[in-house]
Amino acid sequence: MHPMADVILARDPALFLHILLGVALIPLSIVILLYLMKKVSWLKPLAIATAAVSWLQILPAGILYLNFYPATKTLIKAGSWVWAHDIIMETKEHWGLLLPVITTVAAALVVTNQPDKSRKWWILLIILTIAIGIMGRIVKIGAGMQA
Amino acid sequence: MKFNHYLGAAVAAWLLAIMVVVAELFAPFKDFLIATFSHHWIGKAVIVALAFVIGGFLLGGKNPISKYSSEDVAWYSTLGGLAAILAFYVFEFIT
Repeated sequence: MHPMADVILARDPALFLHILLGVALIPLSIVILLYLMKKVSWLKPLAIATAAVSWLQILPAGILYLNFYPATKTLIKAGSWVWAHDIIMETKEHWGLLLPVITTVAAALVVTNQPDKSRKWWILLIILTIAIGIMGRIVKIGAGMQA
Repeated sequence: MKFNHYLGAAVAAWLLAIMVVVAELFAPFKDFLIATFSHHWIGKAVIVALAFVIGGFLLGGKNPISKYSSEDVAWYSTLGGLAAILAFYVFEFIT
């Protein structure tokens, strides 16, 4: 295996990248919303870059979920917050798959000169990203809750 | 060839919600996703991405539900898909 694969597939770099890319979606969306109706040349490239970030985010999310979450899941299922996996994590892992779709729709509306119509999609993206972040914290706390 | 991002998103959202429910209630489907993609989550991710692209191109320029705009179809399908996934897991946990 290529040495870089060890770095990318390791837990900490994947977690760092997961949080970094996830959190980045919020300020990026806010900046786009603030400049949505202003004729700035960098808005379309920024919208495309934000969509790219949302697709790229699937990679560290997948590494963490597939390789490292099973151990966390075992702890949660043995503890008193079983719902943290059964409801929160199950919902989170699937909501995350719609994040890039939502971002791409928002970016496509900016690129096709319909910025006003993109507004609610950027707002949905911000709300969903924050919700997914909070869900991640709940799952983490749930792993420490003993039965 | 025209790409309708609205209808691509609508197809992706509903397909994801349907896959979530079917994979939990009908084990052979989950097994199929695992056998084909190595993990059910990867399978859903690939299918959702393909559904967004293929659905967007196949329905490009068309609106199969002409009573509603593509914009409304996409918006309410996305919100509906998100709500359906949460509601399903809450229901599954309670029952």
